[in-house]
Amino acid sequence: MITLVRSAAYRLAFAVSLAFALATLLLGAGVYYAAHAAFAREMDASIRQAETSLMAEYRDDGIAGLSEAIQQREGRGTDALGYALFEPGGHRIGGTLDTPAPLPGWRTISFLDPAEGPDPARANVMALPAGYRLVVAADLEPLEQIDRTILTLFAAAFVVLLALGVAGALVFGSYLRRRLARIETTANGIVSGDLTRRMPLGPRNDEFDRVAASLNVMLDRIAGLITNLRQVTSDLAHDLRTPLARLRNQLETLQGQADPGGRPDAVEAAVERADEVLQMFDAILRISELEEGSLRSRFATVDLCKLLRELGETHALLAEDAGRTLSTKAEGQCLVQGDRELISQAMINLIENALRHTPAGTAIVIGARKAVGEIAAFVRDNGPGIPEAERERVLERFVRLEEARSTPGHGLGLSLVKAIAEAHDARITMSGNDGFEIALYFPAIAAS
Amino acid sequence: MRILIAEDDADTAGFVERGLGELGHVVTTVSDGGDALHCALSEDFDLVILDRMLPGLDGLTIVRRLRAAEIAAPVLLLTALGKIDDRVEGLDAGADDYLVKPFAFSELAARVNALGRRPPPQAIVTKLAAGGIDMNLLSREVRRGGKVVLLQPREFQLLEELLRHAGEFVTRTMLLERVWDFHFDPQTKIVETHISRLRSKLNDGGLPDLIETVRGVGYRIHAE
Repeated sequence: MITLVRSAAYRLAFAVSLAFALATLLLGAGVYYAAHAAFAREMDASIRQAETSLMAEYRDDGIAGLSEAIQQREGRGTDALGYALFEPGGHRIGGTLDTPAPLPGWRTISFLDPAEGPDPARANVMALPAGYRLVVAADLEPLEQIDRTILTLFAAAFVVLLALGVAGALVFGSYLRRRLARIETTANGIVSGDLTRRMPLGPRNDEFDRVAASLNVMLDRIAGLITNLRQVTSDLAHDLRTPLARLRNQLETLQGQADPGGRPDAVEAAVERADEVLQMFDAILRISELEEGSLRSRFATVDLCKLLRELGETHALLAEDAGRTLSTKAEGQCLVQGDRELISQAMINLIENALRHTPAGTAIVIGARKAVGEIAAFVRDNGPGIPEAERERVLERFVRLEEARSTPGHGLGLSLVKAIAEAHDARITMSGNDGFEIALYFPAIAAS
Repeated sequence: MRILIAEDDADTAGFVERGLGELGHVVTTVSDGGDALHCALSEDFDLVILDRMLPGLDGLTIVRRLRAAEIAAPVLLLTALGKIDDRVEGLDAGADDYLVKPFAFSELAARVNALGRRPPPQAIVTKLAAGGIDMNLLSREVRRGGKVVLLQPREFQLLEELLRHAGEFVTRTMLLERVWDFHFDPQTKIVETHISRLRSKLNDGGLPDLIETVRGVGYRIHAE
């Protein structure tokens, strides 16, 4: 019983069925009073009608005429009314209604029914001149009969409804509890550590299934984040070990070195290693800051074409020094919503990749291109590119293709580009079989 | 210079205090926000170095209070938070420069020098000169030993930065901030490449090199 009271489902179901039963009861009471009143009015009307015609006889022919009319009416037996005519002494001189002489006016009298004994009746008593009294009465039995029928009907309906309601509440309540219990069990399973569990989905796609589906999407997202976090943590530990171990070795060598003249180089190398570690942390912090998505508030209108021209100008020299060529194709104005420095950083990373992972003599082109509702900022080269199968993977953190292992870098450059692109609602495409192009498609805003 | 350092991390405070002391500055160190505000309001400092997170009062509040009290001493904010928004917030509050921890001491020293030498804001400089180089900021013309040197806009800006701080080191990060307006490290050699171009243009014809490079510190043009 305690579980029934504690269950919201049961409480709700009980309340609804009780409300229905009470409404039925109220309806019953209404019907009872309305029917009773209507029948009583009709009864009074027929009494009054009989009286009127009897009084007409009395006015025409006096007491004798009245008596005769009563006799005729009773003899015909056409109406359900009873009559009695009393002389001034109180003796019944006409009619068969067996009752003592009542006082004038409308009242309920008791008469002796030859078949059933004393019975109540509705009566109007008229005082006639010289102390005579005329009683016209209708038996109350049919009215009581109707009242009893109505009361019985509705009482039965009330009991049936209440029983149905209770049964319905029990069934409905236990159904709700069963559906919710499935979600609860799964949730408990997840709480106790089994992150692979998902809410069971029914075939009907009802509201429970929809809630379960939403919960599953949420769980997938959380599980994804946790996996990512685990991956990053272990990658971080792994990838930091290398520069830290090198740093440690260098310091150890330094410690054992007798000749102080050999130190500056070794110290410089150690500082460089330490910088490498710090840069790695910077990149990781920047990526997680971008993934938080709170940077949007600082976004402003950026002329992507101008930005690319500036980067092109700056990096053409860099490319030249590295034995590659870099040209820029970004004419006019192309406006996007974003952060100038972040977009610069993304494009610089892409340019840097093109410089690093291509053979000498490679021609690199950076630029902007207008597409439908989008502006693409691209970095293209005629180098070997990234194999199609690897393209998705290089955007992940710490992923470095085997060929790139020998070149400097921490494997975060492209994941930073990805994080910056996502913060700008830009999509990344990689294309080209002959040569390679990586492009960021920014949502365009209309030039004003 | 008289420098006030407000830093609650004893290690950082000690390392900065020793370093700046060795450079000949007179350093006062406090570790609490309230003390920092009190010192800065009651004594005269040439530079205030404030940690952003201090017990008592935070760095931003202190800068705002100092500026409200019309104390014009340059303020350098230090922070462990490398968030993009923090720099803007710090500068908006009235700080003059901003440095993210951990930093190399040479970076701090260069910025301290730059802030200490800041010309009064009303002085408008139109000509810069050092070591036989003359730069006219209005005609955008550069001469070395009277001979015109043609520079690209970025090279001109680089040289301008170096000449403005002639005799002092300007770090790579400072050049990235002031010439390229990049407040992040692009981890490429753009500064090195441009300096090398600038250098070869200035030294054209076998002239002696005027730009001194110290790895891990920065670049310097000697005043004479």
